[in-house]
Amino acid sequence: MRVDKLYLRNYRNYTALEVGFTNNINIFVGENAQGKTNILEAIYLGAVGRSHRTAEDDDLVMWDQDSASVDLFFTRQGVANKMGFRLIKGRNKEILLNDFAIKPREVIGSLNAVLFSPEDLWLIKGAPSLRRRFLDIEISQASPLYYRNLLQYNRVVNQRNHLLKKVFDRKKLPDLLTSWEEQLANLAEFIVTKRLEAVKKLGMLANLMHRRLTGSKESLSFVYQLAGSDANIPGDLYGWYRSKLEELRELDIARGSTSVGPHRDDIILRVNNRELRSFGSQGQQRTGILALKLAELEFLKSETGEYPVLLLDDVMSELDSLRREQLLAFIRDRIQTFITATDATLFPAVKAGRYFRVKDGLITE
Amino acid sequence: MAHIAPLARLVEQFRRLPGIGPKSATRLAYHVLAMDRTQSRELAEAIIEAKEKIGYCSVCFNLTDCDPCQICGSDTRDTGLICVVEEPQDVAAMERTREYRGRYHVLHGSLSPLDGVGPDELRLKELLVRIHDGETQEVIMATNPDVEGEATAMYIARLLKPLGVKVTRIGHGLPVGGDLEYADEVTLSKALENRREM
Repeated sequence: MRVDKLYLRNYRNYTALEVGFTNNINIFVGENAQGKTNILEAIYLGAVGRSHRTAEDDDLVMWDQDSASVDLFFTRQGVANKMGFRLIKGRNKEILLNDFAIKPREVIGSLNAVLFSPEDLWLIKGAPSLRRRFLDIEISQASPLYYRNLLQYNRVVNQRNHLLKKVFDRKKLPDLLTSWEEQLANLAEFIVTKRLEAVKKLGMLANLMHRRLTGSKESLSFVYQLAGSDANIPGDLYGWYRSKLEELRELDIARGSTSVGPHRDDIILRVNNRELRSFGSQGQQRTGILALKLAELEFLKSETGEYPVLLLDDVMSELDSLRREQLLAFIRDRIQTFITATDATLFPAVKAGRYFRVKDGLITE
Repeated sequence: MAHIAPLARLVEQFRRLPGIGPKSATRLAYHVLAMDRTQSRELAEAIIEAKEKIGYCSVCFNLTDCDPCQICGSDTRDTGLICVVEEPQDVAAMERTREYRGRYHVLHGSLSPLDGVGPDELRLKELLVRIHDGETQEVIMATNPDVEGEATAMYIARLLKPLGVKVTRIGHGLPVGGDLEYADEVTLSKALENRREM
């Protein structure tokens, strides 16, 4: 995967930008609030269909303008592609892949990218929803079917929750719940099976990276935690979900929400068999995240056949010099990378890189 | 331009139709004005006549101008077979096949708690009554293949099972005459799931 060129018009603080990238490491250096992250955001937009910083597409349009556009030229498996976004304030965005209109849900999977930003440090410490989202984005990039089923699943859960509230109000209709639970269990089985596969693969790769980063002193493991089950993953997930949903119905009706299902699951990270979230030091957590991100790159490579592009948003300053060196050694000459930094001296050893100076919405090489 | 009230009113009426924006509405209104008197009267009468004469069939709840409708009243149709669909348009689609020789039942919607649609909002009781009284042997669930349609099909299937009728679901899969390579992932994986031995 390679991003060759980027055109921006009225995007964030860029009036008009045309910039070509090297195949290797691209470093954007500049003061704060000059537009470094906006470049990474535009590439991320092409990968996932939305910004990693805001849920409002209107925020992406320059403040005194009505519309903006982003055009990304990228090479996927040796084939040139073009992804375009037309953003108009107050309207849904238009997305064009090779000049054909596509739906937002069809974006994911075309341009594969992995983003590493300071917020990722929350992946270990933060809420389970962050870890689920992380996993979902990973699997969706490799399997469009997973993403579609996930959307359907969310809709079914939403429908069931609405029904639960109605049942609570009227004290009837519980038999209606069954028809939603059948579908819920069906989709949940699919999603959990895919997640388990991904956790196994990612866990193995992350452990490999973690051992390399720590000189084999520590090992990292992932455990998928199924909401409603103590430890084991049942063999017949569909049957298990059906009986669990029925068993918890009273509780669900009282709460007005569904208490089991992939939307409640979690992934636990352990270092040397101790939970990283509660027992890991800052340093260990950072190494864990770094191992996870490197595993992500390998995972996407094994699923899609080539490395995704890597977006490093302001993380170099969060890593110490040793980990920085290890990271650069891993990506150099292998993975096209986009890095933002306030300080160019953080990369004394980068020879394969191209530097861009970012100042006030202008980029100079 | 001076404001012409009857014209503005006509434009406004067209605008309320689905898929018609302000520009198309204006174009249609001018077109109507350019028609001769008989033509425009025919148009107006056609609208009124359709509205007055078409109602729901008391048996299947499809749109009809006679009660029971032509399909329900026909004696060449298989009375043992009922195809359950969401909307009257779906009946028209099924009829275009010219292959289906049974009868229909139109639900007028699908179960969706989000939109406040429960079993009472659908023509479900009427379906149960039909099956209780009639000689129905098989019910084909032809609701849409989305989550709501699927839930509706499952719900009805469970209601009907105890009545001793056979309940089937129409197949999902590849469009006929299409190329495999152009099918989207979801359709293709559904088709794979529903494969049959040959």
